[in-house]
Amino acid sequence: MSRSIFLSAFIYGLLLAGIVSLRGEFIALAIPFLLYLLYGFWSAPESFNLHVERSLSNDRITPESELVVTVTITNQGADIEELALEDVISPNLTIRLGSTRHLLRLPKGSSHTFAYTVTGPRGSYVFDSIYARATDTFGLIRREQTLRSDERLLIFPEFRKLKHISIRPRRTRLYAGSIPARVSGAGIEFFGVREYQFGDSPRTINWRVSARHDENLYSNEYQQERVADVGIVLDARASVNMFHADHSIFEHKVSAAAALSDAFLSQGNRVGLFVYSGFLGWTLPGYGKIQRERIMQTLARAQVGVSSVFAGLEHLSPRMFPPESQIVLVSSLLNADLNVLIQLRGRGYQVMIISPDPVKFELGLLPPSKEVEMAARVVRVERDLLILRLERAGIHVIEWNVDIPLDQAVGPLLMRQKRVL
Amino acid sequence: MTLSALLVSIVFASASLAWGYFRSGFGLYAIWILIFGAVWLLAVWRKWNWYSSIALLIYIVVAALGLWFEFNSSWMFAGGMLALFAWDVSDLRRRLYWSAKDDDTRELKRHHLIRISLLALFSFMLAFITLSLRVQFTFEWVAVFVIIALLGLGQLVRWLRR
Repeated sequence: MSRSIFLSAFIYGLLLAGIVSLRGEFIALAIPFLLYLLYGFWSAPESFNLHVERSLSNDRITPESELVVTVTITNQGADIEELALEDVISPNLTIRLGSTRHLLRLPKGSSHTFAYTVTGPRGSYVFDSIYARATDTFGLIRREQTLRSDERLLIFPEFRKLKHISIRPRRTRLYAGSIPARVSGAGIEFFGVREYQFGDSPRTINWRVSARHDENLYSNEYQQERVADVGIVLDARASVNMFHADHSIFEHKVSAAAALSDAFLSQGNRVGLFVYSGFLGWTLPGYGKIQRERIMQTLARAQVGVSSVFAGLEHLSPRMFPPESQIVLVSSLLNADLNVLIQLRGRGYQVMIISPDPVKFELGLLPPSKEVEMAARVVRVERDLLILRLERAGIHVIEWNVDIPLDQAVGPLLMRQKRVL
Repeated sequence: MTLSALLVSIVFASASLAWGYFRSGFGLYAIWILIFGAVWLLAVWRKWNWYSSIALLIYIVVAALGLWFEFNSSWMFAGGMLALFAWDVSDLRRRLYWSAKDDDTRELKRHHLIRISLLALFSFMLAFITLSLRVQFTFEWVAVFVIIALLGLGQLVRWLRR
C-alpha cells in the first residue's frame, strides 16, 4: 500500500471522528499528518527529465578481466529531492568494486557520476537500461522511469594459443600457406623425383639418383604449401554437453574452438565456424583478424541448445563446407553420430575430431561407488569402440581430458601429421 | 544519525503515551503501550520494515482513544507526532539501503531530519493553537468539513483507481 494512501486514510479517519464526535482534538491530531502529506505533495517531483551517459572501459574482455562502467546522470528538469538509481545489469555479471545502486539528491542542472567494476563469464551482455525513481523528501510520491542507453559487452572465451596444427585436406586454395598441397612446386617438403628439365635449378638435381642413370639427370620435386579451407564445427547440443547436476563441458569446447580457429587463422587459412545447437549458427569462412573477431563474437554468444530437430548431426550438410576441405569437429560424440561423420569422410572431407572426454568429466562429478565405476567402464568401452570405428574410417580423433589445458593435452598430437587417405 | 533519531523517537512516543495513560489511572494499558514500544524497537533491530506502519496505526489509535477519554492531550499529541516521526525515519532508513558506500547520504539524512523536525515542531504548535482556539462547532463548520472530506475522498478514490 502506498504511504500517501495509508496516511490519507489516517487523516480521513481522524477528521471523520472529529466531525462525528464534534471533538476538535481529533482534528488537531490530524494536523501533523495533514502537514506531512501536504509537504510531501508540495515537494513531489514533477515528471523528471534525466539524461544518461554510460561508458565501458572496454567492449571486449576475457572472463577473468575487469571492466569499469562509468555512468553520468544529468538532471535536465526540476530539483529532485531523492533519486534512487540502478544500472540494470545481467545477473551473470559480478560486481567487483562499487555499486550499481545509488541514492542521491540531484538539484536542477547538476550531474552525478558513478563507476563500478564488473567481471563475468563468457557471453554477450547488453547494458541497455537504468532504473530511476524520484521521490519527495518524505518518500510519499514516487515517479519512476527507465532510462535507455545501449552499450554492449562481449566476454570472449579464454584460451591458450596452439603453436601449429598439422592438417592435410585434399584440396587447398591457391594462395601460399603452410599446408602441403599434394602438388609439386615451390616448397620445402620433398615430393618426388623427375627427369631434369631445362630451367631447373642445379640445386634441385638429385645427384644420387642421376648417378644411377647414364643418359639423364634427375631433379627433386617439392610440395607446394598453400592455405586451406577449414570448417570448425562446435557441437552445442545439450545431449552431449550437459551432465550430472547441470554441469556442462561446453565451456571447454568453446575454448577449444577458439584456440583452433586462432591457430588456423594464424597459419593463413580460410576458416569458418559452425555452431550446431538448437539452431545452426554459421560464421561464413574468411581470413585474418576480422574473421578472428567474427568467430570470437560468435563464440562469445554460443549457448547450449536443446532441439529435437538438431538432436543428431544429420543437418551437418556437406554443402556448408567447400568440397574436400578440412572439417574440425569439437564434440564429445554420440554413437548416433558415427554414420554422419563417415558420410562426410566418404565425400572427401578430411575430418578431425577434438573430443573432450565426457566419461572422465562426468566421473569427476559423481560420488565414487562400485555402480558408478561399473557404468563408467561400460561407457568407456562403448566410446573406445566408437573412436576405433571412426579411425578405421580415416577420421582423426583426438581425445582430450579437459582437466589438462588443451595446448598441453593435445597440442603435440595436433602438431604431428597423421597420414590418412 | 538516523538510527539514534529513530530509537529516541520510538522511546519517547511510547513513553509519552504510556505516561499519559498512567497519569489517568490506566497503568495496565500503559504497560501494553510500553510492550508495543519494545516490539517496535525489536522490529528495528530485526529489520521488520513492515512493522512501522502497524505501530503507527496502533499509536494513533491509542492517542485518539486517549483524547476521547480526555486524558492529558499534550502527551497524546506528543505520542502521535513522535510515532509519525519514527514511521518517517524508519522508511528513510529503508530507502537508504539503496545507497552505495560512496554516496553522500550524510547530507541526505541531515536534510531530511531537519525538515521532519521543523515540520513536527510547526505542526505541534499549530495543533496547540487549534486546541486553544475554542470556537463554536456550528453547522457551518460541519458543512465545511464535510465538503473538504468529500473532496478529499474523491481525490483518494482517483488515486486508488490510478
